[in-house]
Amino acid sequence: MGTSYIYNRDASRLFIAVRDNEKRFKLFIPKESLPAVNGVELDIDFVEQEDFHYIFEWKGKRFHCELVSRDQNKAVVKVNGVEYKFSIESIFSYIRRGLINNSSAITDNNISAPMPGKIIDIFYAEGDIVNVGEPILTLEAMKMQNEISANCNGVIRKLKVQTGQSVMKDELLVEIQSIDV
Amino acid sequence: MKKRILIANRSEIAIRIIRSVHKLGMIAVVFKSDREPDALYLNDADEVIPAKDNHNDKAIFLDPENIVKLAVENKIDLIHPGYGFLSENPDFAQLCEDNGINFIGPSPQLIRDMGLKTVAKSMAIKCGLPLVPGSDGAIADAQAAKAYADKIGYPVILKASAGGGGRGMRIVEKPETIERNFKSASDEAMAAFGNGDMFIEKYLQNPKHLEFQIMGDKHGNVIHLGERECSLQRKHQKIMEEAPSASVTPAMRKEMGEMAVRFAKTIGYYSAGTIEFIMDEDGSYFFMEMNTRIQVEHPVTEMITGVDLVDWQIRVALGEVLTLKQEDIVIRGWAIEVRVNAEDTQNRFCPQTGFIDLIQFPTNENVRIETGVRSGSVITPYFDSMVSKIIVTGSDRKTCIANTLAALDNFILDGLKTTVPFCKAVLQHPAFIDATYTTRWVDQVFNTDMLENEDEELIGALAATIMYAQEYLQLSSDLPTYKNDRLNVWVLNKRLNY
Repeated sequence: MGTSYIYNRDASRLFIAVRDNEKRFKLFIPKESLPAVNGVELDIDFVEQEDFHYIFEWKGKRFHCELVSRDQNKAVVKVNGVEYKFSIESIFSYIRRGLINNSSAITDNNISAPMPGKIIDIFYAEGDIVNVGEPILTLEAMKMQNEISANCNGVIRKLKVQTGQSVMKDELLVEIQSIDV
Repeated sequence: MKKRILIANRSEIAIRIIRSVHKLGMIAVVFKSDREPDALYLNDADEVIPAKDNHNDKAIFLDPENIVKLAVENKIDLIHPGYGFLSENPDFAQLCEDNGINFIGPSPQLIRDMGLKTVAKSMAIKCGLPLVPGSDGAIADAQAAKAYADKIGYPVILKASAGGGGRGMRIVEKPETIERNFKSASDEAMAAFGNGDMFIEKYLQNPKHLEFQIMGDKHGNVIHLGERECSLQRKHQKIMEEAPSASVTPAMRKEMGEMAVRFAKTIGYYSAGTIEFIMDEDGSYFFMEMNTRIQVEHPVTEMITGVDLVDWQIRVALGEVLTLKQEDIVIRGWAIEVRVNAEDTQNRFCPQTGFIDLIQFPTNENVRIETGVRSGSVITPYFDSMVSKIIVTGSDRKTCIANTLAALDNFILDGLKTTVPFCKAVLQHPAFIDATYTTRWVDQVFNTDMLENEDEELIGALAATIMYAQEYLQLSSDLPTYKNDRLNVWVLNKRLNY
């Protein structure tokens, strides 16, 4: 169950929390299983929820969280008595904001075929979230199946190929909009 | 007939005193101030006197005439003033005496003498206690101050004779500014205390604050109960204390303790008292002043000596002989007190007011809790920001620090910010661990980044996101492009399992 969500990514469940000191956290809040922070699934236990209070357990310690204030997407959370300020962006608002600010944090990454071959399988659809290193498609070349992996964290913007299609070397396969911070 | 003791104080110290009153089989009476009619201490008392101080410009605890009037009406035998408020007000002690009420503390004359720093210092000289180089008494004017400072060397500190709490106090680094500073400090002291007398002394750059607890009776017996170190201060107020001090060797303890006892005996002191010393980086120490009340940090001394100081205050007031001998006092283990103040340590220790939604204390056996609040209490702007004290013991200093950190990890307060994260940061700082910290630590070393921690930050991001996501997903589920099953996030899944 732990990894069941990976091939079933839902972009609406990915968020970016930007702290007031510009530190960024990419958080995936899945329907089932554990949350992932910056691409790593964390064994965080959820102990209690009440109104604006959460208690988590992680690394054998308890974390007492309290929502102090909330204004649109800006939230101040008190964790064990210390306040942290975040602005929460959905993946789309984050990219939009990046485009407006012309930020270098948002860039397109293209993945091209490393060798000529045939596309056997594609694991994602356009708009899906991928983490760096996760296989996006399988390319068969010289009787070998090669998994082509994401070279960054981001959203699949364009899938240029279809299953069964033959590709030339260096032919563009996927465009990923990177959200790496 | 059972003695009736009125506690002219509030919050945790009222509860602490009530405990001793009950232990001695007496009746505890307290005031109910209209400024906090639901205070926790009211529950513990046997009798509550409504103070009706709603329309008075000062709370009952600061109103000597009213306290004594109500005490007489309610047939009170003794008054315990606690700390702060009127605890070191000689006129109040005198007023109690004049009305036949036993004031728990030293005589009004002793309170008056020790309250005037110049008088206390001249007494200290008589007893051979070392003093910081400075003027023996009040200095006449700014020119005299300058002449004196030129002699002892800069930096110097100007202090109001009647001062306290940092008012009427100036640190002067160079000769050019001394006259200006003298004038403003003197004016400030005049406004605050009605007495513009100033004295001058050498300013120690990185001192430690040490104090010796003493206890004396009305028959000339005085003992000391070792020292406390209270170097951790912000705005000249203590925030964490420990006993004993890692900077005091057994030989020094003996020497300083004997000085404290000699001083108390010479002035004829009785009841609980504290002799404060300031220690320079080279280990030399100087007498500062004497406090004539029970102190906030008295529990650390109680924990390492096993002596109940408040009990003895009451028994001494009733004329009992102090049966404890100096050789009975053995210091065992270590104790640290953390003051839980409703303050925003991320924002210059700004006091916080409001509701305590939830407060949960650690329950380990090495933890002692003194609290004036519970879940649901209100922190008003009328009184001090201190709400509770967490006192933790350990067999030695290292263990005590570890125990204290563990205890603070199990402390929860929702609704307000407190000094607890700050104290946690202190307990983990090298200067505290190796006991080299001084009264300048907060100003020179502390920054708010020390309060943060990466795990908590990550959890904070997660919590903020979940709170946001719950609404966001609810909204977006109405749009056809998303196939979310409403609020079915991890959090709620988890919740169903409980």
